[in-house]
Amino acid sequence: MRGRRVDPAAGARAGALPEAIAALSRSLPSGPSPEIFRRAKFDRPDATSALWQLLFRVLSPLPAGSALASIALEVQARLVKSALCSQGYPRLALAQLPEDGSQGSRELLLALSWLLARGPVPEQMVAQTRVPLGDEMTVCQCEALASLGPPAPHMETEGPVDVRHVQWLMGKLRFRWRQLVSSQQEQCALLSKIHLYTRGCHSDQSLGHLSVTEAEMLRDPEGGQQLLRTLEHENRRLEAVLAWRRAELVFWQWMDTVLGTCAPEAPAAASQPTFLPWVPECGDGELELVVRELRTLEEELREAAERRRVAWEAKARGCGRGPEWSAARRACRETVEKELGALQRCWEQDRSPAQAHGPHRLVRREDGAAGDRDLRAAELIRTLRSQEACLEAMLRQLQGQCRQELARLAGALPGLIWIPPPGR
Amino acid sequence: MLPADCSRRLVAELQGALDACAQRQLQLEQSLRICRRLLQAWEPTGTWAWEPPPEPETNEEDPLPACTPSPQDLKDLEFLTQALEKAVRVRRGITKTGERNKAPSLKPGSLVTSPGMTASTPPQSPGQAGGHASDTRPTKGLRQTTVPAKGRPERRLPSVLDRTRVGIGVRAPRPGAGLRNQLMAPSAAPQAPEAFTLKEKGHLLRLPAAFRKAASQNLSLWVQLSSMQTSDSMDAAAAKTQFLQNMQTASGGSQPRLSAAEVEAEARRLRKACSLLRLRVREELSAAPVDWMQEYRCLLTLEGLQAMVGQCLQRLQELRAAVAEQPPLPCPVGRPPRASLSCGGGAEPTWSPQLLVYSSTQELQTLAALKLQVAMLDQQIHLEKVLLEEEMGVQQRSAALRRSG
Repeated sequence: MRGRRVDPAAGARAGALPEAIAALSRSLPSGPSPEIFRRAKFDRPDATSALWQLLFRVLSPLPAGSALASIALEVQARLVKSALCSQGYPRLALAQLPEDGSQGSRELLLALSWLLARGPVPEQMVAQTRVPLGDEMTVCQCEALASLGPPAPHMETEGPVDVRHVQWLMGKLRFRWRQLVSSQQEQCALLSKIHLYTRGCHSDQSLGHLSVTEAEMLRDPEGGQQLLRTLEHENRRLEAVLAWRRAELVFWQWMDTVLGTCAPEAPAAASQPTFLPWVPECGDGELELVVRELRTLEEELREAAERRRVAWEAKARGCGRGPEWSAARRACRETVEKELGALQRCWEQDRSPAQAHGPHRLVRREDGAAGDRDLRAAELIRTLRSQEACLEAMLRQLQGQCRQELARLAGALPGLIWIPPPGR
Repeated sequence: MLPADCSRRLVAELQGALDACAQRQLQLEQSLRICRRLLQAWEPTGTWAWEPPPEPETNEEDPLPACTPSPQDLKDLEFLTQALEKAVRVRRGITKTGERNKAPSLKPGSLVTSPGMTASTPPQSPGQAGGHASDTRPTKGLRQTTVPAKGRPERRLPSVLDRTRVGIGVRAPRPGAGLRNQLMAPSAAPQAPEAFTLKEKGHLLRLPAAFRKAASQNLSLWVQLSSMQTSDSMDAAAAKTQFLQNMQTASGGSQPRLSAAEVEAEARRLRKACSLLRLRVREELSAAPVDWMQEYRCLLTLEGLQAMVGQCLQRLQELRAAVAEQPPLPCPVGRPPRASLSCGGGAEPTWSPQLLVYSSTQELQTLAALKLQVAMLDQQIHLEKVLLEEEMGVQQRSAALRRSG
């Protein structure tokens, strides 16, 4: 059964829409009341600031905290505009809204709905503030040691940077990595012990032992009460999300009517909105790098393939003809096509389906038995080893390239190394 | 080495990497503190820590309360103690007749030491009998007297000890020592934890009922949520798609503008394509075909790879042209973390409860170490790329300078 049964009469029921909106509101962090939504449909100004704040919470990459609350409304509004723009929000009216919260609630309602239609926003918001009950480990590298946003400008040195400073920094980095590794190893040992010593305690048989969080709760009952309260709060929000999902159809029908009340916009002008300087992080330099690599590769391939083609033709002339011959050749072609197709899919798809994302609860079992949805450490180790090999090869290749470029630089511009280039 | 403005970017990236490491280190150390504290002695508060083991599906013996020996056991042990004390008296009486013997004085407490009691009784073991000829007969006699005295309780003693040991449940190194402590003060409250440690009594802990209920509800809700995502209601999905299209047409643009996120996603795909292609080319070029079929396959593969490289180059050129002509919409100020090479990136589905099962400390440590290693390599690759870009930037700028100057 592919879809869930949706009650066709649901839309007709009078209370369905407020219920749906109420569920939506409960599922979002500090969601505005259904009344705000209703006012926004009529573009009432008093609904504006609540919607700016909600959009800010949804779009902000930072986790919720006191820091967020203290940001002024104008700043929040500006950041919301910028974030929506970068995601490709189609309507220009948003960019033109005043940032003081004096008007624009209908446009903001449309923006919120646009986000809700594109992705599972309430689920993602609950997942952000999830209470991890177990000891968790993420397998994929999505959040691994990625820098926290663009590197903060450390403008200590204005003058030329000494290469020794760079080398010192790299040494420091290596040292910190080693520290991390040894601390991690110790933590794993301790975790493993705690899991071992508490086996047999857990009411959930599939888990079998306590996690650090759970043991901490027994050690510190006040913290335990806090944990319990947070957990129950999360349960309420999860229930709200489920209720929202069951009832959301009527919301979309309503949003279509809201959109209908807006005047259609003129096609987008050629100039781009200039409320923020364009940060060229995703800039051309990196694409240039890839172009160069591919060109080198193309050259290499052209040469090798030509050579082999010539050799092959010469050899094939000498062999016999016949149906088995051409059948065998066709089989070869098909195999190669299939293999190369699989290779292409590796990068066409945005994610390798074999990889599981997100954190997983660690469970110790002597026999290592796992259900089909669960991951096994042994398999992950294998995957990581092959990733490691792949990355090492890439790194070596890049280091070689760097050395080449450096040599080229030194050769082409002998004065550059010690003297600042003219005109600075 | 490099002009200031180039290496400044490298320095900034290095500084960012150092900060990320430091933050991760802090998190680890906090976690380590918590773990160490849990492994030392602490007081589990409340009474729910000492609930008896759950109704046994697995236990075939009757569940005994943790440390209390039953009255019958106490009686048996008392009987045994008396018997052994008598044995000691008898032996002392015999050996007092001028024999110098290093008979260890058996304290009453140590009598109940273990089934190895046989070994810990007076060292007149058969093996030693040969040493003292005058001992032999009394030894034999002693053994004869002791055996019947021990005969009955001995049969029962191991069973008592076994049962009590099961009650304690821990493979403590000296079960007898534990038992001795209990029996020395049989009236002592069995719940007097001298020092609770996870190691010895961790398995007796129980989570409070309110928490158990909330946790199982939480798990079931998450499972419902993740299963609902995979089988979305068709009506709702259709309604959403329709709404998005209406939004697009209402804003007058038929073609959505390329957003910075999309450009980056495409660039990431092409980078991945490049590295995968390069690896494959290496493999093919280093393979040594043995027969004509392998040679043919190799040839076809190389030609196919060549075509794919050409396609990728074309897509790149198109992308660069599109970016140059209509600059993509700006990135937000707080960018999401850079997606690594190993991960695809892209839209994350929400969390679904999954377990990661490991079987030994070593396995866990290997897994964690490999994770760190991959992350480190990712970072190193990123830094090399930054360096390379900067070097190329220098080249371009100096070439431009030469052209203009």
